[in-house]
Amino acid sequence: MTVPIDLDTILNSSPFARFLAIAARADERGVLTTMPVRDQLVGNVMLPALHGGCVASFLEIACLLQVALEVGTTAPARAINISVEYLRPARRETTYARAKIRRLGKRVAVVHAEAWQQDESKPVCLLQSHLRLPARLASE
Amino acid sequence: MKGAMSDTEQRDDTATDGVGDWAGNPYASRMVEYTPYAVALGMKFVSSSAGRGEILLPWREDLVGQDGTDILAPGVLTALIDHACGLAIMAGLGFEAAPATLDLRIDHMRPAAPRASVTCSAHVYRATRTIAFLRAEAWDVSPDDPVAAAQAAFTLNRRSVK
Repeated sequence: MTVPIDLDTILNSSPFARFLAIAARADERGVLTTMPVRDQLVGNVMLPALHGGCVASFLEIACLLQVALEVGTTAPARAINISVEYLRPARRETTYARAKIRRLGKRVAVVHAEAWQQDESKPVCLLQSHLRLPARLASE
Repeated sequence: MKGAMSDTEQRDDTATDGVGDWAGNPYASRMVEYTPYAVALGMKFVSSSAGRGEILLPWREDLVGQDGTDILAPGVLTALIDHACGLAIMAGLGFEAAPATLDLRIDHMRPAAPRASVTCSAHVYRATRTIAFLRAEAWDVSPDDPVAAAQAAFTLNRRSVK
């Protein structure tokens, strides 16, 4: 990667990422994405647990950020499809995620992501996605 | 919950009983009106019947995926679809069913139109004693031209199950 990618710029250009108050930083393992807890994100008040939809969206954004970092563009990739598996209830706690690109093609990337809370070895949610890469890359 | 299960129901995890014996839940709309995240996203209850649920998500500026596009983020649709699936189950089994999403797969066929609200309709096409299998579609203008299609499996927590 020749040009460093500013993850904050990408997050700030997405109203929905701002709505979820998602933060991200790059380290030696890739992008670490964080979603702070907020009462609004609760989907089950009895447990209580975060809404599955908000954890899935958080993982989608983690995938987009990892692609942006590795591909070196702030132009957004677009989800073709996603598949989410819920392993455990996500508690009312800060949630973390990392994504891994399993294949980077010219037009499509296959990206897997995991979300966890206190213990990275106990993921709460897994997401697999096919992302359509920005057109500019495909034509290069 | 009362009436959701017949006394003769088989104690067999592989049994499929469909939704024919689901009692219905006249208060199902509450799971849209009182779930914090559904409220935060502005979801509106449209309709429900045993094994079916429909929810509208009005367009809102802060739910857009990318500045300048005015298109709802795909992640917003994920929550809408997941919630419509939950509604379809609770509309038949009551809130005690406490459905939990096992997995959810969504195809995004096309982006929604700019500034368009999206409606999602989910239905249980098969249910066993402990699992419900659902399909859902989301559209902006017409159900015949969906923006997304989904398939999901939920676990059910039925009271009378040991």
